[in-house]
Amino acid sequence: MIFSILRSSTLAVGFLIPTLFAEEKVDFAREVLPILSNKCFACHGPDTKKAKELRLDSYAAATKERKGIRAIDPDDLVESELIFRIHDEDDPMPPEEDGKPLTPLEKDILTRWVKQGGQFASHWAFVPPRKEKKAPQADVIDSYIATGFTKKKTDLSFAPEADRPTLARRAALVLTGLPPEPKLLDPFLADKSDGAYERYVDALLTSPQYGEHQARYWLDAIRYGDTHGLHLDNRRGIFPFRDWVVRAFNDNLPLDDFITWQLAGDLLPNPTVTQKIATGFVRMNPTTSEGGAIAAEFQAKNNFDRTETLGTVMLGMTFTCARCHTHKYDPITHEDYYSLLAFFNSTAESPLDGNKYDHGPAMKAPANPDEWKLLKENEAKKTAIAELEKSLTTTTLIAQELPKPRVTKILQRGEYHSPIGDPLTPGVPAVMSPFPDDAPRNRLGLAQWLTSDDQPLVPRVLVNRVWQRVFGYGLVRTPEDFGLQGEQATHPELLDWLAVELREKDWDLKHMMRLMVTSRTFRQSSRRRAELDDPENRLFARGPGFRLDAEVIRDIGLWSSGLLDPTMGGEGVKPYQPVGLWKALMHPASNTKNYVQDKGAKLYRRSLYVYWKRTSPHPMMTLFDAPNRESSCVKRSRTSTALQSLALFNETQRIEMGRKLAERIVQIEGDDKARLDRLYKLLACRPALEREQAACLGLLTAMKKRYADATDEAQALLSTGEAPLNESLDPIELAAWTQVVTTVLASDVALSLF
Amino acid sequence: MNPLRDHELNLTRRQLFGRSAMGLGTATMAQLLGSELLAQTPDSPDGLHHKAKAKRVIYLFMSGGPSQHDMWDYKPKMKEMFGKDLPEHVRDGQRITGMTSRQKNLPLCPSKYEFHKQENNDQGVWVSELLPHTAKVAKELCVINSTFTEAINHDPAVTYIQTGSQIPGRPSFGSWLSYGLGRMNEDLPGYVVMHAKTNYGEQSLFSRLWGPGFLSSEHQGVLLRSQGDPVLYLNNPKGVTRTDRRAQLDALAALNESQHDRFGDPEILARIKQHEMAYRMQTSVPELMDLSNEKESTFALYGEEARQAGSFAACCLNARRLAERGVRNIQIFHRGWDAHGNLPKEHESQCKDIDQACAALITDLKERGMLEDTLVVWGGEFGRTAYCQGKLTEQNYGRDHHPRCFTTWMAGGGIKPGITYGRTDDYGYNIVQADGTPIMPQPTKDHWTPGSVHIHDLNATILHLLGIDHRKLTYRYQGRDFRLTDIHGHVIKDIIL
Repeated sequence: MIFSILRSSTLAVGFLIPTLFAEEKVDFAREVLPILSNKCFACHGPDTKKAKELRLDSYAAATKERKGIRAIDPDDLVESELIFRIHDEDDPMPPEEDGKPLTPLEKDILTRWVKQGGQFASHWAFVPPRKEKKAPQADVIDSYIATGFTKKKTDLSFAPEADRPTLARRAALVLTGLPPEPKLLDPFLADKSDGAYERYVDALLTSPQYGEHQARYWLDAIRYGDTHGLHLDNRRGIFPFRDWVVRAFNDNLPLDDFITWQLAGDLLPNPTVTQKIATGFVRMNPTTSEGGAIAAEFQAKNNFDRTETLGTVMLGMTFTCARCHTHKYDPITHEDYYSLLAFFNSTAESPLDGNKYDHGPAMKAPANPDEWKLLKENEAKKTAIAELEKSLTTTTLIAQELPKPRVTKILQRGEYHSPIGDPLTPGVPAVMSPFPDDAPRNRLGLAQWLTSDDQPLVPRVLVNRVWQRVFGYGLVRTPEDFGLQGEQATHPELLDWLAVELREKDWDLKHMMRLMVTSRTFRQSSRRRAELDDPENRLFARGPGFRLDAEVIRDIGLWSSGLLDPTMGGEGVKPYQPVGLWKALMHPASNTKNYVQDKGAKLYRRSLYVYWKRTSPHPMMTLFDAPNRESSCVKRSRTSTALQSLALFNETQRIEMGRKLAERIVQIEGDDKARLDRLYKLLACRPALEREQAACLGLLTAMKKRYADATDEAQALLSTGEAPLNESLDPIELAAWTQVVTTVLASDVALSLF
Repeated sequence: MNPLRDHELNLTRRQLFGRSAMGLGTATMAQLLGSELLAQTPDSPDGLHHKAKAKRVIYLFMSGGPSQHDMWDYKPKMKEMFGKDLPEHVRDGQRITGMTSRQKNLPLCPSKYEFHKQENNDQGVWVSELLPHTAKVAKELCVINSTFTEAINHDPAVTYIQTGSQIPGRPSFGSWLSYGLGRMNEDLPGYVVMHAKTNYGEQSLFSRLWGPGFLSSEHQGVLLRSQGDPVLYLNNPKGVTRTDRRAQLDALAALNESQHDRFGDPEILARIKQHEMAYRMQTSVPELMDLSNEKESTFALYGEEARQAGSFAACCLNARRLAERGVRNIQIFHRGWDAHGNLPKEHESQCKDIDQACAALITDLKERGMLEDTLVVWGGEFGRTAYCQGKLTEQNYGRDHHPRCFTTWMAGGGIKPGITYGRTDDYGYNIVQADGTPIMPQPTKDHWTPGSVHIHDLNATILHLLGIDHRKLTYRYQGRDFRLTDIHGHVIKDIIL
């Protein structure tokens, strides 16, 4: 065998490398398993059906003798068939036609691994996180990030700290999704004492806008929408759930309760109205009542959606493959999938929604902040639910169990009409930590499993997404996939430390936010470093910088122009939208076929509250990469497109914002330079820079000249949008300033975190 | 623009696509494979994986399920079976929708329309009197009577054929193409979607049908609208001229360059470039929509309706104009084909909407020498039943959804012209082999039954003609290499030139 190997010249290279580095210990979970998963498991993985066929997903299987040959031969490791076959030029593994050849480095890793004993270990994400014994005691984030620097380059250090205005803006946008209020910003900029920044961060964390901003990420992940989502896509009574999420973040509800209430608030002993509202989570899947739809089919499809969304959002795992067959890469069997699905299969609602707003079970819920306040008081006083519901004026969908559970079986190929095997007990994939002995086999038990101390995935997955929204990228760059095919953490020890910290500090999200936002890592300048080839900031050797999300871009405009209506909660609002967008798509029987634009203050609510019609969300959201909320999204794309440019300059609300912001600065300042500084102070927390001044004042002069000869054109521009015009201002000057402000609002200072 | 900036912008483009901010989703497959020229050079002859026969596709999607019985799939023997129950052995336990499953019987319903045999390049093709114009281009068409799907209701079925999955969340057909091929024209969107008017809008469409799913959202289809701005937010607001906008964009570029110098983020330069493209679109789109330089003969060909914005005919004319301008990927959605009752009245109106325009599009493309590299696809998400839904009379009837066979046609772009493919039994219920044996095909990874065209096969074939191997156009999401055709799909070689 050795002889045949040495005959091949290309192979000699691949074979010699390992001998040079044979001493270097291979890390199975980090180095070997990803190769096996990506290149071998398609045929030799967990779903290999025939007993005779080789499996490479455990030591026992890999060392099993088959026709006198062992893939890994413990008695003579060097002679292992695996080493031979991956180097075999005539009949290589993986086969050429699969188009996934091993690279020389991968062959080297596999060879070294086998020679070192070919031992298996669990995939890293299935091993409960631990804080290292040698974990740093203080400034943990920065210590781990700094360790990463030294691995790359010994003399690499943190970038200098961002200037204070930039830092103030960055922290406010990350925590609240808005620039800082002057009453918060100015004292901070003036305060040179120790702890000024930390105090500033604490103030941001207590702002009600914090909850609104953080809620939005969760609503993306769990696919929140104001409509049913399929076919007629009718209205759905669910906004109290959205308002509960905002309140939960503002109240800093511990994340384990946050999960438990949503999954199983109804199954808690004597559940409160609030806890039941939270179960709207279980009802969030898109539903249909299309004529002719077969109930059993949608019972299955609704459950697929819930099961797979739970996998993505909580476990960072894709279960979709296992709907039809045992997972090719991850250790999730066909039976695991349906056992997990069984937790959702006994909820009481009919699988077809009847196209109804209050497709039951539903309950009375608060329609506005006043009713929430009342509810909170009543719950504190332990008012009887029946009594308490009298003060609530809207309806929300909730989860409820059937008295007798439905039977769940494996569905062959995922077909609803092909159940096979015995009825399944609700259960979880054992490889991701065992189901707690004392937990009930229902959604409450599932929640207990998700929040148990030895749960390896949930805290990592959650804390990774928190990191992602603070730093722009997760520590694991595939937040939707912590499985074998996903990326590994750039800083695994840090991820684990944060996951344990979250749990040890009683799932305190604000604590985690504070840790991240006050770190030196976060406070660095975001300027690209010429000496580093790190475009994706995998080292975190600069501060976060990225284009802001659709909602934030719109909210910055509303806020800076003074238009923003701070009212929280309630039915989704309908700002300006081009005529006919819904009608062009919708069935005449749909109750969302006509977009009836709101009037007055509702035009200016935060974007979180913009009505979310799932089959046609607002174009100012989707043009800027918002998902449609028909399926889970834990990472938005960030594109730059020409259509965005058109929207920024031509959409009614953008022009209206430009005008109102122009009115604001023209009124409070007398000279153009001071006005411009005021504009930049609002958007960038600092006065305009020289080049900005030159560009803006140049444009202003040109526009004043242009409108001086065309007052009617100035008036026409100023008539855009329904907000009243301040008639006392000179229309020519105001129109010119409107053009300048609209331009600045379309520039990077108003679109990006930096 | 100075040369240095140009150079910088080019660099940025490569940085952006090669090592984009949020991973590979931003790049097109073409760019990933290093054939960046493909995405940039108009009329590049090469495909992504093999030589493309079609440079562009115009997809005429008939939402609701057109009745193959009344348009294409001629069943003379049905005449004698008027009102008789669908035999059990024909249905063979296949499921039917909740709308007719409670009907006492399933009375067979022959089409009331005359069919005429049209000469083609093979054995001829039967076309109903509802389609007199389309009948005249029979020599260009490949008529497939054996398209099938598993989905039996609109929302899942239309989502299935357009995204490869019945459950929402996957990228649309058009987004896959955008991801795979990039664009040929820098002044127009690469993927354009139009919604044609109908008298029967009893159908829903969903943005997911042209949505990007988990691909980067730049691959979403751009709506070309007949109401308001043709492209959303295309026109400047009142009181703002093109000169004003130029001045704004120049100031904007200066602001962004200042910001770029401070932070070095290449995305900022990418945005400058997109603002310039938007500025160009403000002239290229109106130019596209301006039909004043079309000859009278154009309107004779497409019909006078082509002058009415939003009509199917106008959409077809736009499609040809888009194709001429290098737009690769054009879809027209026409609703109203869901004829559960009053089928004759509804389908007569629907066919009148589309018939002349479909024929005109093909004739027009052919005359311009563009048909050979433009693929035209016509079809819906499923077909309609052989039996009647509701009251059956000789003059009036309705038909329920039928996924087990329906008609799709294709033309141009490397498709064999003037042939038919696939056949169905005497009831138009099951796909059969030449000897009449029913084929009970399943979409499977490894098996394909000759004569049958699953919607995955249809999509695989379309991609093939565009130079794409449907098995290789993948995007990794959640650890899996996703494809438009999921794990299925076979290129139907018999219908390809």
